[in-house]
Amino acid sequence: MLVLWGTVTGLLVYGTWLTIRHLSREPQYLDAPFALYPVSILKPLKGSDPDLRENLQSFFNLEYPRFELLFSLADSRDSARPIVEELMRANPSVSAKLVIGELNIGTNPKVNNLLLTYKMARYDWLLISDSNIRVEKNYLKRMVAQLDAGVGMITSVVMGTHSSGVGARLDEVYLNTFYARGMILTAHLGRPCVVGKSMLFRRSTAERFGGIQALGQFLAEDYMAGEAMRLLGQKISISVDPICQFLGDASIKSFWHRHIRWGRIRKAQAPLAFLFEPVITCVGSGFLGSMAFSYFFGFSALNFFCAHHLLWLTCDLVVVSALGAEVSLTFPFFWLVREFLHLPLWAHASSGNTVKWRGKKLQIMEGGLTRPCQKNA
Amino acid sequence: MFLADLHIHSTFSDGKLTIPEIVDLYGSCGFGAIAITDHLREAGTLFGRAARYLEKTLTLSTFPLYQAILSSEAERAWKQYRMVLIPGVEFCKDSFFHHRAAHILAIGLTHFLPAKLSVVDLARNIRGLGALAVAAHPVSIRRLSHQTHYLWDQREELAAEFDAWEVASGPYLFTEVANTRLPKLANSNFHCLKHINSWKTAFECEKHPESILEAIRKQELKFKFYYREKGHDLMDWVDASTLGHGDRSSGIRDLVNY
Repeated sequence: MLVLWGTVTGLLVYGTWLTIRHLSREPQYLDAPFALYPVSILKPLKGSDPDLRENLQSFFNLEYPRFELLFSLADSRDSARPIVEELMRANPSVSAKLVIGELNIGTNPKVNNLLLTYKMARYDWLLISDSNIRVEKNYLKRMVAQLDAGVGMITSVVMGTHSSGVGARLDEVYLNTFYARGMILTAHLGRPCVVGKSMLFRRSTAERFGGIQALGQFLAEDYMAGEAMRLLGQKISISVDPICQFLGDASIKSFWHRHIRWGRIRKAQAPLAFLFEPVITCVGSGFLGSMAFSYFFGFSALNFFCAHHLLWLTCDLVVVSALGAEVSLTFPFFWLVREFLHLPLWAHASSGNTVKWRGKKLQIMEGGLTRPCQKNA
Repeated sequence: MFLADLHIHSTFSDGKLTIPEIVDLYGSCGFGAIAITDHLREAGTLFGRAARYLEKTLTLSTFPLYQAILSSEAERAWKQYRMVLIPGVEFCKDSFFHHRAAHILAIGLTHFLPAKLSVVDLARNIRGLGALAVAAHPVSIRRLSHQTHYLWDQREELAAEFDAWEVASGPYLFTEVANTRLPKLANSNFHCLKHINSWKTAFECEKHPESILEAIRKQELKFKFYYREKGHDLMDWVDASTLGHGDRSSGIRDLVNY
């Protein structure tokens, strides 16, 4: 228990230091001939939220020599359509297309939605970017400036922002602490986790593993894209700039469902890591540490538990500030709630293998493959 | 005549090199053909579960990616090195007991088959799909490691189910197999760079997957010990037809004593 606590705490401190170091770096090739790397930006859309217009507008504002925007909608009646059309009219200088329709090749609706734009993209370099992402003008330039020999994909750390509602606040805490540090730490340890909200890669490289259509049967197409790149011997690089995800309003129920879905995906795709999750959380490792220090050194278990949480909170605040996210007075409260929710979420995720996503109930099978659940099953 | 290694593992199971790295390694060494044969273990067993947790086996979910990468790399291997890349799988029926464990190579297999099938069913399915069923390292592999003796123990009953039996694996030549009339194949069981120094099979047929498989069926092949650092052959060719007939040839003794 003592060794386990020491290892987890060591990784916490090391991961925090790595996060600070990574996010304070500058991209390596800011003087690159960017015109030689034209990029097609694929934006799969479904429905609209209050921030959609501003989020999409930020992509029209990008400062980059050659790029095109390809929006895709599965349904012509989708509420995002008028917003996209209006933005395209308002920004005629930017090459942009709206593609309606999908190719139904698998259970992953995002991949189905993306396929048409993936095939019709003019350039080899593709950036897949979700609708709830807002970026700075130099975002693309700074991402491309990180391209290096052997890098097959560049992804970004996601910073949750503009949250309202308990669920969104909890999501914000999760993204800006545990997830951000975990992403940078695992990348450093050789097993990077790709985030589908921002993935820059070459179509010609993706075609070597069958293209994104090969990922259509997986719910976590981003994780599998990263795995495929790794199996091809390509490196995954994480952008030094976090991207902002506008969280908006979300209830505790939606937070719970989303984390159950993510948990079940992790269980299917990385079962060993999922198995050890309880002991790598603040509460789990704190419990082990308290028991060990109480037994071996006679420490008060309660005092140790509190001190342990204080250390984690400090490290998490450092990560939040490294990301450049806001810290409100309520942060410690939501942080504590999320930490204590981690174990029940893990237990709930362990207890099943079905998820609901975009109105569909799916069964996650071994390895992350999915299939629709039978009705009334 | 070209050299082939038809038992190679990549990072899809427990190999250390990715498929593109393997292609570049063998291509730059002048090989004419390779088969990548990653492990596919029984999903429901303890060994299978452990391998899956440690990501040391192909699974139903990774198999399509595996095939897609093999297909694109086969194209590159031919264009860049004029080397044939044959897709394959090593089915692993593992057990705590050496005499119950068996590994079966499926060379040329592009379809997923569950490893839980019986040995006979696996071999028949593999051959039914046009691939070769090869008994992998059927005798002691001469090192402190898990052994797979089941196929060898049952060789009389199973002989007709297999297209070939590995007569060498890595640096070891199996005299037990060499001294029989069973059809043979020599491979490296490549997992990491140092394994390239090992037994290989040489062919005189056309550089084409079907021709290579046919040459194995007809046993039109020779065996050779490949040593990379020297850059030249250390051993004489061994004609497969000279193995397992009458007296033990001095050539074999030389090879074994090497």
